[in-house]
Amino acid sequence: MAYRTQMRIIGQILETAQENQQDGNGASVTYLIRKANVPHQRLRGLLGTLVSQGLLERSEYAGAQRYKISMSGREFLRAYYSFAGFAESFGLSI
Amino acid sequence: MEFPLEIALNIAGFLVGLAIGLMSLAGYRNTGSPTLLRLSIAFLSISAGFFVIWAAYVADALVLGTGGPAGWVVTLGAGAQAAGYFFIAFSHSIKSFLPRSAHFRGVVPLPLLLTSAVQLEHVFRSLSFIFLAYGAIETALSCIENKSRGAAWVAAGLALLALGEFLGWYSFVFPGSLLYAASMSCKIAGLAALFVPVSRVPLGLARLGR
Repeated sequence: MAYRTQMRIIGQILETAQENQQDGNGASVTYLIRKANVPHQRLRGLLGTLVSQGLLERSEYAGAQRYKISMSGREFLRAYYSFAGFAESFGLSI
Repeated sequence: MEFPLEIALNIAGFLVGLAIGLMSLAGYRNTGSPTLLRLSIAFLSISAGFFVIWAAYVADALVLGTGGPAGWVVTLGAGAQAAGYFFIAFSHSIKSFLPRSAHFRGVVPLPLLLTSAVQLEHVFRSLSFIFLAYGAIETALSCIENKSRGAAWVAAGLALLALGEFLGWYSFVFPGSLLYAASMSCKIAGLAALFVPVSRVPLGLARLGR
């Protein structure tokens, strides 16, 4: 697998949280680990940071923690896509 | 013919460098990506380099009247541009370029101290050519890999700037030939090509200070 930057991993976590909004309960940690392909310990740290930055919202459902993307998270993701495309124009990834 | 071409090139370089630098800076402020920070340093440095040379020409034409810009100012501008091109080229592999040992890193700038100011300008221009050629090749490879149209524009822009530097050398050997005008035209076309990807980013995202 190609090397992923921290920014790219964060983008994938937010992307997964956004895609998993259909049932309205948010994404579980197990789902995020599988989809974003990040080890549990590292994901825990990143989720804590994203929640404290207001990009993700934490909630409880059926005794488990779920994560939903916030409005700021959506805005961040939109900026991320645009600037990722901009950096890609220079042959770089953010 | 030299004065209008130099003024056109340096104004274009200043504006394009500033636009890409500010866009990258906005990207860094929005996402915190170190890649965009390096890109913003690169283009703001290039922009400053073009501005310094433009200012030298204008100051000479309006105030000093010595018949040409001061050599040390042109060297300073060329140095700033070379530093910017360094950041573009080695954003691709910036971690592996410099030697790991601190002792070796310490001697890297030494050769620059062994040259005179005039030679220094040529050293900077030679380095710019190498960085631009390297950046163009790396960006072209990325363009082939990702099939990105924006990368094609940037690769073409960097290649045209490199060609402009190359033709600029020959214009020293054959002064008064068309090579000088060709070199300047290549550089201006290269700057225009570099601007294309920036024009595609929505301006609403380029807000600073978020």
